Amino acid sequence: MRLIIRDDPTAVGEYIANYICKRINNFAPTAEKPFVLGLPTGSSPISTYKALIKLVKDGKLSFKHVVTFNMDEYVHLPRDHPESYHTFMFREFFSHVDIPPNQVNILNGNAPDLIAECNAYEQRIKDYGGIELFLGGIGEDGHIAFNEPGSSLVSRTRIKTLAYDTILANARFFNNDIAAVPRMALTVGVGTVLESREVVVVVTGQRKALALSKAIEEGVNHLWTLSALQQHPWALIVVDEDATAELHVKTVKYFKSIERVQDEVEQMHAALRAKGVPESDNNVGSME
Amino acid sequence: MTSANGLICFTNCLLPLEDGSLVEKDLWIDERRGIVLDAQRTFFLRKERPDKIIDLGGNILSPGLIDIQINGAYGFDFSVYEGDDEAYREGMKRVALNIVETGVTSLVPTIITQEKSLYPKLLNLLRPFSMPNSANLLGWHSEGPFIQMAKRGAHAPPFIIPAPDRLQSFEEVYGAENLAVNEDWVMESEQVGVRIITAAPEIEGVMDTLTELTNRGIVFSIGHSIATTDIATSAVIHGARLITHLFNAMPQLHHRDPSIIGLIGASPHLSSAFTPIATVPGSPASPVSRNASIRLSHGGKAHSEAFDDHETPPQTPVDARHKTISTETIAQKLSQSKSSRPELHLEKGQVADMAFERPFYEMIVDGIHSHPNSVRLAYGAYPEGCILITDAMKILDPHLQDGVHEWRDGKKFVKEGDKLYLEGTDTLAGSVVTLDKCVRNFSRFTGCSLGEAIRCATYNPAKCLGIENRKGTLRPGADADLVVLDRKGQPVSTWVKGKQVWTKN
Repeated sequence: MRLIIRDDPTAVGEYIANYICKRINNFAPTAEKPFVLGLPTGSSPISTYKALIKLVKDGKLSFKHVVTFNMDEYVHLPRDHPESYHTFMFREFFSHVDIPPNQVNILNGNAPDLIAECNAYEQRIKDYGGIELFLGGIGEDGHIAFNEPGSSLVSRTRIKTLAYDTILANARFFNNDIAAVPRMALTVGVGTVLESREVVVVVTGQRKALALSKAIEEGVNHLWTLSALQQHPWALIVVDEDATAELHVKTVKYFKSIERVQDEVEQMHAALRAKGVPESDNNVGSME
Repeated sequence: MTSANGLICFTNCLLPLEDGSLVEKDLWIDERRGIVLDAQRTFFLRKERPDKIIDLGGNILSPGLIDIQINGAYGFDFSVYEGDDEAYREGMKRVALNIVETGVTSLVPTIITQEKSLYPKLLNLLRPFSMPNSANLLGWHSEGPFIQMAKRGAHAPPFIIPAPDRLQSFEEVYGAENLAVNEDWVMESEQVGVRIITAAPEIEGVMDTLTELTNRGIVFSIGHSIATTDIATSAVIHGARLITHLFNAMPQLHHRDPSIIGLIGASPHLSSAFTPIATVPGSPASPVSRNASIRLSHGGKAHSEAFDDHETPPQTPVDARHKTISTETIAQKLSQSKSSRPELHLEKGQVADMAFERPFYEMIVDGIHSHPNSVRLAYGAYPEGCILITDAMKILDPHLQDGVHEWRDGKKFVKEGDKLYLEGTDTLAGSVVTLDKCVRNFSRFTGCSLGEAIRCATYNPAKCLGIENRKGTLRPGADADLVVLDRKGQPVSTWVKGKQVWTKN
């Protein structure tokens, strides 16, 4: 696992956007071989979306051959409700980039048969050959997607009851009316996320600091579902300074040193490729 | 110019919303169907996104402007029929084709008082009309003939009449088919059609006909009138929903009897069921005959309200014998709405329940017909009701030079900038201001934002006419009639039904 620390959420967003841009462009996606990208909602990824939009407008990146799968959606919230994740994704991202609508996948929380909807979603991901890169955020309780504390770490896409913490946190989007906040959601499982070839997680703000510390400084624990990432071979967490507040100084220093070494390794690989030495593996991301 | 899948996305622009705010947002339209799209639905359900993207460079993308009172333009006068239907239609087309350069995409052709026999003909010619590449003519606005002699402005005295036989009088003048119930009048179901009648409620027979006209889908506007506060209020309770060119052709604002102008400040206290103000409860609106209620006492001659020979009536309040609002009517109206906020309530910033909605009011914001202070005063009192109009005469044409121009009956205009006089007098003879300029003026006069000024020329008039689902709005499903304005409010391009119909070179 790598941990990248940047000054503020904007810098975090730019780092991730540039990273994703590089990954997609290196992948050289085509209609037959699209890049499959997992996407989150919430406040943390907004700066990343802004930076990605700018890359598209500047002509440095295209989503023409990108297929996206979103992590989750509320159950029984109308698709065009201002707080639905369909609305969020359209407003914050899809309306501004060149992605064809039929390459966008979001769980349908209003499907008559919710279980069938979840199973079909998993199948669609498999049909595309799995997710190449899953971008995620976390909740204050360390949940990834709607995999609340106590979720199985091998879970698949399914119906989830939201934790009371999450309902309270979301109430601000529903006029602070707890009763109006949806109680259920459809979400990809921890297992679904772990199965993607690469996972990138954005963590910003002091409110997420404890969750970050629990996820990377302690053992794998289903009460902090992000900690399952420790088992993933190719994971990247990008955080701002505020989010490191609960980490040991030693941890922060260690990850900062990794970043420097990583840069050197990447330069070395680039030089090799320039000389015509073929790439053994696309994966230059993991030092572990 | 066209988009491969027929969808267009306008981006990098500010959209004026119905509340007067301006937000940075894209707008998707369907150029084939000529409507505004719900972008999110189009994306997720239709699985389409626009093939064509138009970058507006930070400009404002407004609903097309709506002028609900315009007498003519580009040399054509809607009030002049010379026995040739074709020539008249050509005139209509000329206006519709050219007016788009002023950002107007819908207008309500207005005719002033005519010789009685001409009405059926003119109103029939003025059925809703639209053709490609031009503005929509939505129907007609008839000022007169049931107006107050003393406030007749440029209307010809011999043609001004009362309506002693009420609805029958109206039908005799306008033609019964032109006053049919709206569904029967608008032939095509998809078409937007509107009718406005400006009349003086104190004229015999008018108040008694008002509700029936309203029920048929005709907008009743109070104008060219000396109605007292009580008569004017009664007219609103009976269904009037508009005031024609506020401040003009009506008594000046007198604080003891604020008359028609006072309606925009109508007090909850006087419209409350708990405060009976009627001395004759239960009496129907009593018609006031044309001459009886005018007391020619002191008061100087008012300029610009009537041409030449007539003294206008005093500005002091007339005798308050005619109390026309019944307590019962008000109580009835109030009981229909849920009385959630009584006269004395505890909610800061809210107004106690009113028995009736205050009417919309038109203003000619050329800086001449109303002083900027008056414009701001009215807007401050009731921003939601404000409608900008040009009330333009046939010589409206942004390309026309200042000087002397022909009018009719051998009379001539003198045009000086936006001022228009009858030659040899200082009597205002209507206006030559364009609606886009009114929007800019309005923003300057009141200090409001461009978005709020735009609302007064788009959403407010549409709402007054009951067509706010289709016109004057960017709601999904509305007609894609649009005007692009730069940040100084100058038109850059105009679109009707999803097609660009005009562009500044």
